[in-house]
Amino acid sequence: MKILSSIKYPLLKAIDISGLTFLSPVVRLCYGEEPSVQLKKIGQWIIIPVAAMLLFIFAWNAGSGLIKTKAGTLPTPGETADALGSINTFADREDLKKEAYNLTGEERLAALAVAEAQLASITPKVQETTDAVAQAKSEHEKSIAVVVEPLEKNYDELKEKFSQAQDKRKQELESVSETLVIGDKASYTKFLDLVKANESQTDAEKTELSSLKAAISDARNDKSKKVALALSMQTKVAEEKQFLEKQIEQLTKRNRSIMVESAETNISTTTEELYQLTGADAYKKARSIAKDESRLEKTIESKYAQPATLWYQVRRSILCVFTGFIIGAGIAIPIGILCGLNSTFMAAMTPFIAIFKPVSPIVWLPIALIIVGGFIPDPENNAVIQWLWKAPLIDIYKINPAFIASAITVALCSLWATLANTALGVASIDKDHMNVARVLKLGFWSRLFKIVIPSALPLIFAGLRISLGVGWMVLIAAELLSSSEGIGKFVWDQFNNGASDSFAKMMVVVFVVGFVGLILDRIMIVFQRLVSFEGSKAAI
Amino acid sequence: MKKRLIIPIIGLLASASLPAETLDLEKDSLKFGFIKLTDCAPIVIAKEKGFFEDEGLQVEVIAQPNWKTLLDNVISGELDGAHMLSGQPIAATIGFGTKAHIVTAFTMDLNGNGITVSNSIWEQMQENDPRLDSPTPPHPISAEALKPIVEEKLDDGEKLQMGMVFPTSTHNYELRYWLAASGINPGMYTKSDIGGRTDAQVELSVTPPPMMPATLEAGNIQGYCVGEPWNQAAVEKGIGVPVTTNFDIWKNNPEKVFGVSKAWADENPQTYLAVTKALILAGQWLDETDASGKLVNREEAARILSRPDYVGADYDVIKNSMTGFFLFQKTDKREMPDFNVFYKYHCTYPWYSDGIWFLTQMRRWGQITEAKPKDWYLETAKEVYKPEIYLKAAQLLLDEDKIKKEDIPWDSDGFKAPTTEFIDGIEYNGKEPIKYLNSHKIGNKDSE
Repeated sequence: MKILSSIKYPLLKAIDISGLTFLSPVVRLCYGEEPSVQLKKIGQWIIIPVAAMLLFIFAWNAGSGLIKTKAGTLPTPGETADALGSINTFADREDLKKEAYNLTGEERLAALAVAEAQLASITPKVQETTDAVAQAKSEHEKSIAVVVEPLEKNYDELKEKFSQAQDKRKQELESVSETLVIGDKASYTKFLDLVKANESQTDAEKTELSSLKAAISDARNDKSKKVALALSMQTKVAEEKQFLEKQIEQLTKRNRSIMVESAETNISTTTEELYQLTGADAYKKARSIAKDESRLEKTIESKYAQPATLWYQVRRSILCVFTGFIIGAGIAIPIGILCGLNSTFMAAMTPFIAIFKPVSPIVWLPIALIIVGGFIPDPENNAVIQWLWKAPLIDIYKINPAFIASAITVALCSLWATLANTALGVASIDKDHMNVARVLKLGFWSRLFKIVIPSALPLIFAGLRISLGVGWMVLIAAELLSSSEGIGKFVWDQFNNGASDSFAKMMVVVFVVGFVGLILDRIMIVFQRLVSFEGSKAAI
Repeated sequence: MKKRLIIPIIGLLASASLPAETLDLEKDSLKFGFIKLTDCAPIVIAKEKGFFEDEGLQVEVIAQPNWKTLLDNVISGELDGAHMLSGQPIAATIGFGTKAHIVTAFTMDLNGNGITVSNSIWEQMQENDPRLDSPTPPHPISAEALKPIVEEKLDDGEKLQMGMVFPTSTHNYELRYWLAASGINPGMYTKSDIGGRTDAQVELSVTPPPMMPATLEAGNIQGYCVGEPWNQAAVEKGIGVPVTTNFDIWKNNPEKVFGVSKAWADENPQTYLAVTKALILAGQWLDETDASGKLVNREEAARILSRPDYVGADYDVIKNSMTGFFLFQKTDKREMPDFNVFYKYHCTYPWYSDGIWFLTQMRRWGQITEAKPKDWYLETAKEVYKPEIYLKAAQLLLDEDKIKKEDIPWDSDGFKAPTTEFIDGIEYNGKEPIKYLNSHKIGNKDSE
């Protein structure tokens, strides 16, 4: 009990620093501190937001059916959840395939047995779902035909009728034109009016026909929910089957250990054959053995070429945003300090800040791509890139010029907030502090590290927090253009896919991006509070 | 009794001793780029059906946002090779657009494109030509019915806008060919006009393939020429009507190639052979038929292509054209077994005559700004098309007994027989590029 009460305040402090203040009434309530006040706070900061979220989901669900274009409808929350499921399934399957490629011995056999059993159970469903699709489609066609046939009949009849009527009117007008007398202006005016009336009548008939046609084509374009459902079931089953077949292949003939084994057997038989040969034949055989052996070494080291999954892309994007953020901070903080210390320098920098600050990432990116391309013309043979591909932890992210260009774009767009805040922080240091430094005759560097930076730190971190948020927003756009593997590329690929679930997958990304952004912001808040004077560093 | 045993044993021995010469791969993990179109199939199939793995290659297949980025990535070495428009390696090599020496030893497919117009243009075309106002209008449809619409727009001071995918794409040349065959001027490229709109009656602009349906729906363009599945997607979504396919514009025209940079090909000759081998096998797999001539593997291919990391469109949309059907309207589904050809008709061979055709089109529309002598065409084609590599790879496959001898044009001089199977019936003979150039009404003409 004593321990519990002794951690109360540190706990509240930790909550405060981490910015999760909505939790503090819960903690206080647990300690029985003013229950009515705490309950009110809980109501305000937990129940109301949750209710608002629920209301939003409800409104979204209700509204999504109303927004319809020919390209698709706005996905409902349910469809978005399904899309998340299918993104996960894709990622899981790719992981399983990779694993299948690497498995050896007993484990391989066990996995094989599981996969084969699954395949056996799914195979009969393939035909079932295909039949279901065919049935749903034929039913849908029938229901369309019921609507379309009378319309079409109507259209054909009207078309025939109108064309006859038009011919007749034309003949009449022609016969009227025969009766025209040159010089009789009134008769001409009358004739002209008749022709005009005829034209407008023809136009009206055309409009009627084309509206009927539009109705027919609308009826034909009517989408059936049943067909869509049957199709998605069929796709689910067929994809599962295809995956299992591929997995079984990866577990058997395209498994690394199996390939190594068969290559080894092959080499040992050919080596036996070599012992029986002399002369040119022996040379040929020996050469082929040498080649087989070098191929074998490569096979042993080979890795399954796994396509990027969304979660890999999210991790790579986070790495990219931090790379850009660090580059940006590395530029912004020193310049900001100089600006804050020296008003002449500040005046010199002002035009650059003013001009470059509003430039959009879309403009920076091609420039960054060209510059990076200039420094790294051939990534395959570039020492830095090669080192990055082998460096621990980041080797799997295959840092390439497009990644670096995206990171530089992030830096260029996000450094301004840090720069401005640093300059402000440094410029607004208490004059007394500076006077003390002068009295103590501190040198430039100790003044910088003992007085300037510590006093400016809270504002610097406030700037960094804004920068990271801007950087995260900019990165998605940069990746979209540079096709650097990341969330931006995922969105672009989905947009390009144009499949029935593509929009739903993009909705998933909205939440993923938002969630990651939220976490990044929280992390920065913690740092910011840690360096603020109000927050004692011993709190956590 | 003995005899019956011996035969299978001989068979076993033969197959056991067959693993011919192993290739000394310089590089075994590769990255290939592609654009989300069904004709990227050979690359995807070679990966998914394990033809690359059989050659000891681990290949990552990565979607690219547009043709320009794809080419830049091949030039920069970010990609080892890519699914390319036939015109791209040629244009890059002669320096129209980005200059870089790109070569190809493998033609990926024939045909596969369509021209789609918006619903309202289609309605007006039907008014101009009543034969089109039917659930199943007669094909081929020329641009005759489009001409009055173009002229009417010109009178109003407007120009019809149409989309194609890249300045040196097959689509650009096909759309221009189709328009020009009916006397509509699609505009000329000049030294100062690299948008190709000088004297244009219809203005063409570049839009990445997957963006076509959305751009059409937004009304920025009134029609487009693009590969599959983006014509079928327009029908499926009800936003446009494909009026013709490039099969009708030029029967069995070359479409995409597998391009790599010359530097990469020189550095990795054995790897290049291995890749070409795998691609040939993928083409063969895609065009496999049963006794009745039905394509047996296409449904599986459509299923693979519909995965989100490949083409990603709905299976139902991809399936149509891949299994030999084409939906012109919801009421007009036609059998087109040769809509996509991946292996038949010796199509994977890199024909010089195909390269020369693209060069003649580049000259016709002014992308090549100066007249060139006749021999230049063949010399340039030879710089880009590398049948010697293709034949070497094919020979290896023949030795391994994986392909049939008659499927490869072993002794060809690199020219397809002259053909008149164009929408306007003009004869194309690759050996007479200047004569061919001069046989068209619209476009540049040169003296021999």
